[in-house]
Amino acid sequence: MIERRPWLTLFSHCILILGIIAVALPIWVALVASTHPAEAFKQGVIPLWFGDQGWITWKKVLFSAAGNGVDVPVWLMMINSLVMALAIALGKIAISILSAYAIVFFRFPLRMLCFWIIFMTLMLPVEVRIVPTYKVVADLSLLNSYTGLALPLIASATATFLFRQCFLTIPGELVEAARIDGAGPWRFFKDILLPLSRTNIAALFVILFIYGWNQYLWPLLITTDDHYYTLVMSIKRMVSVAEGDIAWNSIMATTILAMLPPVLVVVGMQKLFVKGLVDTEK
Amino acid sequence: MAEVILNQVGKTYPNGYQAIPAIDLHIADGEFIVLVGPSGCGKSTLLRMVAGLESISSGELLINNQRMNEKEPAERDIAMVFQNYALYPHMTVFDNMAYGLRNRGASKDEIQRKVSDSARLLGLTDLLERKPKQLSGGQRQRVAMGRAMVRHPQAFLFDEPLSNLDAKLRVQMRVEIRQLQRQLGTTTLYVTHDQVEAMTLADRLVVLNKGHAEQIGSPLELYERPATTFVAEFIGSPSMNLLPVSITDQGLQLTEQVSLQADTKERGAVIWGIRPEHLQPCSESEADFALQVKAVEALGAESLIYGHTAGRSELLVVRAPGPFTPAIDQMLYLRAPQQQWHLFDINTQQRI
Ligand SMILES: Nc1ncnc2c1ncn2[C@@H]1O[C@H](COP(=O)(O)OP(=O)(O)OP(=O)(O)O)[C@@H](O)[C@H]1O
Ligand SMILES: [Mg+2]
Repeated sequence: MIERRPWLTLFSHCILILGIIAVALPIWVALVASTHPAEAFKQGVIPLWFGDQGWITWKKVLFSAAGNGVDVPVWLMMINSLVMALAIALGKIAISILSAYAIVFFRFPLRMLCFWIIFMTLMLPVEVRIVPTYKVVADLSLLNSYTGLALPLIASATATFLFRQCFLTIPGELVEAARIDGAGPWRFFKDILLPLSRTNIAALFVILFIYGWNQYLWPLLITTDDHYYTLVMSIKRMVSVAEGDIAWNSIMATTILAMLPPVLVVVGMQKLFVKGLVDTEK
Repeated sequence: MAEVILNQVGKTYPNGYQAIPAIDLHIADGEFIVLVGPSGCGKSTLLRMVAGLESISSGELLINNQRMNEKEPAERDIAMVFQNYALYPHMTVFDNMAYGLRNRGASKDEIQRKVSDSARLLGLTDLLERKPKQLSGGQRQRVAMGRAMVRHPQAFLFDEPLSNLDAKLRVQMRVEIRQLQRQLGTTTLYVTHDQVEAMTLADRLVVLNKGHAEQIGSPLELYERPATTFVAEFIGSPSMNLLPVSITDQGLQLTEQVSLQADTKERGAVIWGIRPEHLQPCSESEADFALQVKAVEALGAESLIYGHTAGRSELLVVRAPGPFTPAIDQMLYLRAPQQQWHLFDINTQQRI
């Protein structure tokens, strides 16, 4: 639809600009706040331009300790978060692409039952099964470990479904042509299925990475050792100090840092992501 | 290059539907066999059983005198061309053609040589780096052929390979397929429902009806001596005029008033068949019977005239050469030479 109506254009631009301000202003405030001393907030005025403490705060947060009861530097938590988010995203993709492969392309007994069991796990996110899952993880002595952080979150019905839908669009003749060409199950998976679902994998990776990065409840529950704290849960910890002043500047710096990796992933994979959502190459 | 033998091969689908009761077919080395029949008669089923994509429920399939029933498609050393080509969308033309060779562990040099040989034969040399998306329908078709040829398989299997192409390209590819097959001498099984394709390509035609072979023979044999009314109707376009009539001592009783002289010992009710091209317009005095014209289709090179003969409700078709346009409801006088008749048993539908 291409129309020439200046008022409409102006109006839609206003709406868009308002939207951008609504989204960007808090980030701006956070960025500015991180450059002021911690007391700046208590006067009830929110500064809108950079202060002079930026360098000190950022250095402290990143490399010595985040502060407010969290004694490890942000870079370590960042690595923890990154490990967890990557393990969850890659693990989920690997497991669900394999189960979708089995369900769509192999005829085995109880296939539909397996399918429905996977389907049912949709109704059991971590929050619902948190106590039994905690028990299992504790019994396996996986508390305070990367495995414990990632493993219970890896099984994914949603991703299995997405891959199943993607595989179902692959024409039967393609599978048969590959069989005639002498491609066994593994070759078919590697040479044909994986390349054909490349964009879907990318799209899922973006979504799942952010899902993993934003995990809050589960890491909070199973980590008691500072060295396994993830970034997102630490921010909450920093806000809820029992006494003393809340170091807003450190918190804001940490928040900005916590936003960076997901933003980088989205920006970096944007092209593939969009393609994965709209593409119909098959 | 091999003999393909089907001994009483049958197919019953898991849902209990018997698509093919039992078929015997002996395909000689290098022969071009075309399977024709109406939709749903089991052509694809038969082809897919030979390919190994569908299990064989009963009987035996031999390729080069080896039992193939339990073999995987790849072990049968056949190549198939699908109706929608089924090219791997993410691979280049080269990779599409090379994939089968790679999976069989061919060396780099061998792959390079074989692919470029086939590509040259099919005129694909300039397209080797393209993806299927970037090709026209005809070029994709060629790539699909190339993928089949490159392995030098024992047999080619084609399932309606030309039906996605426009008419002109179809003719061109038809000729090309025939040439290539002759050149390579590869045994071929080809499914189509296009008459012309069937007649022009086949060494022998198999007409399938509800899963059984109505007749197997050369195209002209089927045209000249159809074994059943089904084949008679199926081969030839427009299809043969078939009328239930009775033969008495006075001759063939076309209607109560009209009888044609018949030198046959056959008596009683039969089905009388004559092809549209064998009904000859003539003057009233020479005529065997007359047709009241109901519709005319002038195609330039020939004209199709539809009409009734007095006292019968069946629409008869006449095929006259050249532009010939009698007026509607005019009487058209026709001769029906006896040597062009086909008589079929009214109960068994078999040729008499
Ligand atoms: N998987 C299946 N299960 C049950 N019946 C099937 C199956 N596949 C095909 N059929 C039936 O077997 C019969 C033959 O099918 P087939 O695909 O061989 O027909 P065809 O001759 O190739 O038809 P067309 O010209 O339309 O391609 C049809 O009646 C079809 O309904
Ligand atoms: Mg078919």
